[in-house]
Amino acid sequence: MNSPEILLIDDEPIVGQRLRTGLEKMGCKVEVAQDPKDALAKIRGKRFDVVITDIMMPEINGIQVLETVKEANPDTQVIIITGFATSELAREAMEKGAYDMIAKPFKPADLRGMVAKAANEMGFTDIKE
Amino acid sequence: MTPDTIAAQGKNDIAADEKDLLERPVFSFRFQIILGFFTFFILSVVVTVGAMITINQIEKKITTVQTWEQFLFNIEQARRWEKNFFLYGTNLEDALSSTTEAQAILAENLKKFEGSSIPAAKENIKKHLDLYHGKLLQLNQLVKESPDHSIPRADLIENDLRRYGASIVGDAADLTAREHDLLFRWLQLVQRVPAYFLVFLFFLMIYMTRFLSRRFMKPLKYLVNETRRIARGDFTPVQPLRKFRDEFTTVEVAINRMLRELESRQNSLIESHKLRAVGILTAGVAHELNNPINNIMLTAHSMLDEYDDLTKDEQIDMITDIIGETDRSRGIVHNLLDFTRENKATYDAIDLGSLVEETTKLAKNQARVRGIPIKLDVQPGLPPVLGDRQKLKQVFLNLIMNALDAVGQNGLIQVRVRYHKLNYLSVQIEDNGAGIAPDVLPHIFDPFFTTKPVGKGTGLGLSVSRGIINKHRGRIEADSKPGAYTIFNVILPYYPGSANE
Repeated sequence: MNSPEILLIDDEPIVGQRLRTGLEKMGCKVEVAQDPKDALAKIRGKRFDVVITDIMMPEINGIQVLETVKEANPDTQVIIITGFATSELAREAMEKGAYDMIAKPFKPADLRGMVAKAANEMGFTDIKE
Repeated sequence: MTPDTIAAQGKNDIAADEKDLLERPVFSFRFQIILGFFTFFILSVVVTVGAMITINQIEKKITTVQTWEQFLFNIEQARRWEKNFFLYGTNLEDALSSTTEAQAILAENLKKFEGSSIPAAKENIKKHLDLYHGKLLQLNQLVKESPDHSIPRADLIENDLRRYGASIVGDAADLTAREHDLLFRWLQLVQRVPAYFLVFLFFLMIYMTRFLSRRFMKPLKYLVNETRRIARGDFTPVQPLRKFRDEFTTVEVAINRMLRELESRQNSLIESHKLRAVGILTAGVAHELNNPINNIMLTAHSMLDEYDDLTKDEQIDMITDIIGETDRSRGIVHNLLDFTRENKATYDAIDLGSLVEETTKLAKNQARVRGIPIKLDVQPGLPPVLGDRQKLKQVFLNLIMNALDAVGQNGLIQVRVRYHKLNYLSVQIEDNGAGIAPDVLPHIFDPFFTTKPVGKGTGLGLSVSRGIINKHRGRIEADSKPGAYTIFNVILPYYPGSANE
């Protein structure tokens, strides 16, 4: 049985801590990054199935992460977490190939559902919310 | 002075100033001009009356001189008849009548001469005249007694007559000459005094003109300078220039009233400008606030989902997280509210570094949305400044927001707080944006000046900021190189009580 590889990027440490357990219970392999620079290095070094990234981070923002992911591996799905969604930002993200967006504050179950859907579409059929 | 006393003083200043101005003794320009003209008038009256008296005196003197001349004429006539008598034996009667005439003139005018003529040997003249007359009578008697014209001791009488006659003529001529002289001097005086008076009047008028115009020009110049000061945004009341009240006091009182009006308008401008900034801030704050709320939500859900699987330590960790994140939310809201809250102007000792840091935090949310870093560099150990927290925050926020508007991609904003020259601290806000053109730079602090499109900027931000900084006895300077950088430098005096140790 294959497990989807997931990278979770948010400069808020609590986000990674709380989401990791739930995602692992679903059967995913989860890596967490707080520093977007580390995250970019990880993306370049390894293939992830799903990347979940916050959009507003110091120095490197979510759009740049999205671009790097699509550059490294166009098949990887990217879910954007946003603190303050503007339509402009949403359009830019979708145009650049983001899978979906979720606005803070969100329930962990909502994000898990989004991840499960993406994983299912990628062929990880045994992943259930 | 403590901050409290300064604030309290501010309130009383205005009323006290007006009272102070209006309670001064009145010494108006109207009165000063009237006083000047009155002085002229009194001087003219003195000179005119003096001239009239002198002319009257001269008139009397002329009469005196004429009388003396008449007297002299009679005496000389008498002496001529007397000579004729001794030569030809004729005219003795004529000599007698001329002498009598002279005696009459003297007798009639002696009293008058006392008042008008110069003090001299008038008694002597009278005595010699009487003796002369006596000798003539004696001669006449002798002539009548001796029909053959042989007069005994005629040469003795002749000698006496000659002696007395010469003395009278000499004295009278001398007196007449002196009277003449005096008359001439008086006439000269009467001629000269108006000329002197004119010269004096001329200089007096020059002096009065200079004096009055200086009295006018000085307060005018002062007021012109004061209006310049006011135009720079310093709304401290105009101080009176003089100890007394004049027409300019009315102007000063009016200006001070206008200042109060201006100040209250400025305050409402500051307030409305602040509200606008709050609107912009809200977007950033909403984003900032979503982070801790999200953290709380995620943590609470995790606890709900996995409650039974969690160890006690994990539960405590999560609850601590929730408390911590709630605290964080409160901090964010507090920071915004602190800025929004309407408060009366209070002057406190403020740590400029932490105030700028709080302000930077407020703006950072906005900056993060645009991906622009703000670097803060505070020199440690700075003394506090005396100021209004909220208003100063408003100034720094305005400058940082302007910097945010100015920079594009790869923008960088640097905020530095440090010592300036003696007794001053400076807050520098530098951006690497488009810069300000040299021809625009001098106008950026003018009210309603804006380079932003219609509807985006009110053109009041920098003007209001300068007003606030001026009130803090500081100044705000701008330096820019188009295409390279713009630096706004806010220079504030630090609290005098905490002089540099």
